[in-house]
Amino acid sequence: MNGHPQLEARGVTVRFGGLTAVDDVSAAFAAGELAGIIGPNGAGKTTFFNALSGVQQPTSGELFAHGQRLTGAKPHQYAAHGIARTFQTPRVFGQLSVAANIDFGLQFAGLHRKSSWLLKDEDSILHLIGLSDQAGLPAAAITPSQQRLLEIGMALATRPKLLLLDEVAAGLTEAEVEAMAQLIRRLRDELDLTVIWIEHAVTTLLRHVERVLVLHQGRKIADGAPSEVIRNPEVVEAYLGDEMTEAA
Amino acid sequence: MSTLPATRWERLVYRVRTFLLDTEHLGRDLLVLVALAGWALALPHYGSEFVVSMALTCLMYIALATSWTLFCGTTRYLSLATAAFFGLGAYVSALFIDSWGWLAVIGAGAGIASLVAVLMGSAVLHLRGTYFAVLTFGMTELIRHAIAYWEKQVTGTVGRVLTVVPERDTVYLTMLGLAVLAVAVSIVVRRTRFGLGLMGIGADEQRAQTLGVNTRVAKIGGFALTAAFAGAVGAAMSVRWTYIDPATVFNPFIGFQTVLIALIGGVATLWGPLIAAIVFSLLAESLRLQAPQLYLMTLGLLLILSVLYLPGGLASLRWSTLRQWRDDTQAWWKELREPKSRKAANTVQGTRA
Repeated sequence: MNGHPQLEARGVTVRFGGLTAVDDVSAAFAAGELAGIIGPNGAGKTTFFNALSGVQQPTSGELFAHGQRLTGAKPHQYAAHGIARTFQTPRVFGQLSVAANIDFGLQFAGLHRKSSWLLKDEDSILHLIGLSDQAGLPAAAITPSQQRLLEIGMALATRPKLLLLDEVAAGLTEAEVEAMAQLIRRLRDELDLTVIWIEHAVTTLLRHVERVLVLHQGRKIADGAPSEVIRNPEVVEAYLGDEMTEAA
Repeated sequence: MSTLPATRWERLVYRVRTFLLDTEHLGRDLLVLVALAGWALALPHYGSEFVVSMALTCLMYIALATSWTLFCGTTRYLSLATAAFFGLGAYVSALFIDSWGWLAVIGAGAGIASLVAVLMGSAVLHLRGTYFAVLTFGMTELIRHAIAYWEKQVTGTVGRVLTVVPERDTVYLTMLGLAVLAVAVSIVVRRTRFGLGLMGIGADEQRAQTLGVNTRVAKIGGFALTAAFAGAVGAAMSVRWTYIDPATVFNPFIGFQTVLIALIGGVATLWGPLIAAIVFSLLAESLRLQAPQLYLMTLGLLLILSVLYLPGGLASLRWSTLRQWRDDTQAWWKELREPKSRKAANTVQGTRA
């Protein structure tokens, strides 16, 4: 590769009227990284994701994918540059079958992109996320945890280089969370994907990622290996210590 | 998935029904289209003047409603601008019919209408729901008044008389061609990436965008396609009317009727608008002259009933739907008679307590 990070945010700020949801956040993500973003409620995690995927235009700041400037581009252009995302509440096409939901991404952003064998077609993606048995069911009829997997499958169908996961483990049972984490690691290891993962459940996330960013009131207050970050006094204060000490 | 009904009669109905209304099979859709078109093609040879005129109205509404559904039904962008495109087509026809050939006039009507749709769409297609509907309506009115003003101030006329008009059969065949084309284009679009993109926009626009759909281009393209049909239909219809003025050809009722037909027929279906257009023009021709109020009331009632009891439209009507209605009515009737006895029971309990 040309040495550029897979995705780079420079001084990204998002304001809604008087509220600054994301405040001058800079971060670069290298190819193959598995990074997490944590932060208390309202810290601006999802808004930051929206800015990283073109869903929300930043008020100021710049975005680059592989060295190419993407600031101001539309979400479909982000998708064309290999940036895929999931949404906090699964947004699957309920009336379409599970297989057709996967097909959607393959028909658009994924159409002309080179891909790994694992993302060859509908069947291989369904197999990868473990929904082969549900292929023919309408997406509205599968369970919420299956819908979370489908949401990831839809993103994978765009044959991305970078995957933005927004609370994919929320509301899952402990065993399901563990399976989800295994799937995410597998995506990174076998597909060489860069994965950025937001999770509200800090403990789960810290166990699996190699790097973690902490957002607090829109600002990035820490960025580093999980073991360092949890000792950062500012982070401890933001979380009132509770979850951090548990995680340590 | 669904189990086959038990009795022979039900199985027959089921088969006819899936054959006619399911939109899954290309061959079958095309077969129905060819059969209907063939029947309509033969009509002028044996039908009376009245029947042919009714069929013409019917074909007009099939073309308008089917093409409207193609974009507005799938993406759920409720456009009230059909009258604008229709009127533009009609005016193109009035201006150029003397100097150009018939097909060139129809083509120009379609072209001008879609050009205006591209401009209009660029301005308002980022809005959704009520805002989009109201703005398309507002723009229709704007175009109507602009043309009325222009005619009065610059050309010094109120309306235009079309002197050289083609024969009845030419108009009829053109309208038939447009209706067939509208259905055929819908059949094709439903099976292409473009159609899939439109469907994605209707289901969850932002999600479709993040999966790679260039929603802006798809929406403007779809809107222009719908407008082209309305423009062509307007161009063909104006010669039937021989005298046109802005109030008639930009009549917002043309837009409302198109939406009503699509809603009553089923906006998510291929054949719904066609079925409703037929029902509608039969109603229109038989009631409008004798009892205009009754016609509008029937229309309103049909809309209310279909929204309340048949949200998927006429095309979603199934044998089981009718059975369900029958059971519901019976239950309602029982309920109506039952409360007396229940009330009686309550009072007995009440006195005991």
